[in-house]
Amino acid sequence: MRRLLLIMAVLELAGCAVATKIEKVDSGPQKVGERLEMTLDGAWNHFQSAQIAPARIWTMEGLPVDELRVFAGVKSGEAIDAGAPVVGGAKKIEFRAGMQPDEIVAMFEGLYTKGGSTFKLDKLEPWSFSGEKGFRFEFTFVRKVDGVVSLGVGYGTVSKGELFALLYVAPRLTFFPRNKDKVEEIARGARLKM
Amino acid sequence: MEETPPAQWRMPERFTRPETATDEGGLWALMDREETRLRRSPFLIRDAALQARVHNMVCHLAGAHCPDVRVYLMRTPFFNASMAPNGMMQVWSGLMLRVDNEAQLAAVLGHEIGHYLARHSVEKLRSAKAHSSTATVMSMFGALGALGALGVAASFSGYSRDHEREADRISVTLMRDAGYDPTQASKIWENLLLETKANPNARTPNPLFGSHPAPEERMETLAKLAQAAPGGASQEAEWNDAVKPFLRDWLADEVKRGQREESLALLNRMIARAPQAAYFFARGETYRLRGAEGDFDAAVEDYLAAAAAGGEPPETHRSLGTVYRARQQAPAAKASFQRYLELAPSAPDAAMIKSYLEEIGI
Repeated sequence: MRRLLLIMAVLELAGCAVATKIEKVDSGPQKVGERLEMTLDGAWNHFQSAQIAPARIWTMEGLPVDELRVFAGVKSGEAIDAGAPVVGGAKKIEFRAGMQPDEIVAMFEGLYTKGGSTFKLDKLEPWSFSGEKGFRFEFTFVRKVDGVVSLGVGYGTVSKGELFALLYVAPRLTFFPRNKDKVEEIARGARLKM
Repeated sequence: MEETPPAQWRMPERFTRPETATDEGGLWALMDREETRLRRSPFLIRDAALQARVHNMVCHLAGAHCPDVRVYLMRTPFFNASMAPNGMMQVWSGLMLRVDNEAQLAAVLGHEIGHYLARHSVEKLRSAKAHSSTATVMSMFGALGALGALGVAASFSGYSRDHEREADRISVTLMRDAGYDPTQASKIWENLLLETKANPNARTPNPLFGSHPAPEERMETLAKLAQAAPGGASQEAEWNDAVKPFLRDWLADEVKRGQREESLALLNRMIARAPQAAYFFARGETYRLRGAEGDFDAAVEDYLAAAAAGGEPPETHRSLGTVYRARQQAPAAKASFQRYLELAPSAPDAAMIKSYLEEIGI
C-alpha cells in the first residue's frame, strides 16, 4: 500500500495518471508510434496510462524506481504533458518544431520540475539519433516527493517537424549505473521510418 | 468584526512535551519523524549564515519559546512557511524570494508562530478526528497509520477562519515586540494579490493564502492592527544582502514553475522596486518561454537590460543567441553565443552551443 501511494504521489507530481496498467514487454524490436522502432533487451515493463500521453513509460526496476520515457512523433504545437491534469492554471508544455536542442531540454526540465523537483543539466552535446542530427544530455534529478537523487540521460531529435526522444531516470546509487548501458544501446539502436 | 488590540494578548509559557499516549503526543511523534526526514532532505538550504539569520528572527519573535523552535529553510519555489506543534518550522524559498524585507518575512513567521503558540494544530487534529470516518482512514492507512494520517491532514490543511484571524493578531504583536514595522504585514498580502489577480485560473498559490478569511479582508485587518502599533524597522537592505547569493537559483525555480502570468507580476514588481540583472534575465526567460505575440521582443529588451546592468547570468547571452537565431539574425546570434561561451567556457551545454556556431558559420 505504501509503495502504491508513493507511485501515485510521484505520478501526480509528475502530472501523470493514477489509473494505470503495467504489462511485461518482450525482448526484441518494438514499434513505438508510427515511425519509431526500438530494440529492447531485458525484462522491461510497459506502464500504460492516458494521463502520461503523449509519452510512453517503460520500467525495468518498477515504478517509481526507474523509468524510460519515450516520446515518439510529438507534433509541433502538441504538449508533451497533454494527458496530465492541469494544475494551478499552469500552461501545458508545448513542443514547437523550430526548437533548438537546448530549448527542448529546457522543455523536459519543465516537465520534470513540476511540483518543486529539481533538475540540473550536467551535459548536452550533439548526437546522432537514427542517423538524424540530434542531441544527448545528462542530468541530475531530485524528486520532491521523497528527496531521492537520480541521474538521467536523454536522447532526441526533431525529424520532419516531429519530436522523438528517450529519457531514462533512475536513482544515482545502484539503479542508474546498472541500466544506463542498456538504455544507451536502445538509443543507439533506435530507428526512424522516413 | 472588532479586532482585539494586540496588546491584550499574552505569550503563553513554554510547552512541555505531551505524553506519547495522548493525541497531541502522537501528533508530536509524527512530526518528529517528519523532522528527521527534513534534516536529510536534499532540498534543505544548508547555508549557515542564512539559517542563522532566519533563526535569529524567529527567536526575536518567539521570545521565551526560542529554544523550542527549529527552523528549516527549504528550496521549494512556492510561497509558504509552516510550523508543526513540536516546534519544527519550515520556510520555503518561494516565500523568501517574494518578501521585500525582513519585516515582511517576520509577518509570515510571526503568523506561523501564532498558530504554534495558540496550539491551533492540536485543535485541528481533534476537529479532524471528530469529523472523519475512522473506518475510511483505517482502511487506507491501517490502525497505526490512522492517527498519523489525521495528523498529516491536520498539519497541512488550512486553518479555520478564526484561527487565521487569531494568528494574524498574534503576528502583529510579535512583530511590534521584536522591533519590526507591522505595516509590512499587510503589504505582503497586497503583493501576493497582484500575482493571484494576474492568473485568475490559478489554484490558490499557497496554504496561507488559500485559507479564510479572504486576502483582502486580512490585508485590511492587518493594516488596522498595524495602525494601533506603529513604528519599527523593515530591515530591507539587510535582507536583500542576505538572500543575494541565492537569488539566481530561486529565480530559476520561479521561472520553472510555469506560471508565466504570476511570474511576470512578481518580476514586474521586483524590477520596479530594485532593477537588477538577475530580475531582468528571469523576466526575459519568462517572456521567451511564454512565447506569446510580442514576447520575443520583450525578452530581448530584458536580456539587453540585464547585460547593461552588468553582472548578468551568462545564460542571458545564450538566450539572446537563441532568439536571434530563431529570427535568422546570424551575426547577432553568433556574437551572443560566443559571449556565452566566453563567460561560461565549461558550461554543460558548451559542446551544443559550439555546434550551433559551426552551423551558423560566417
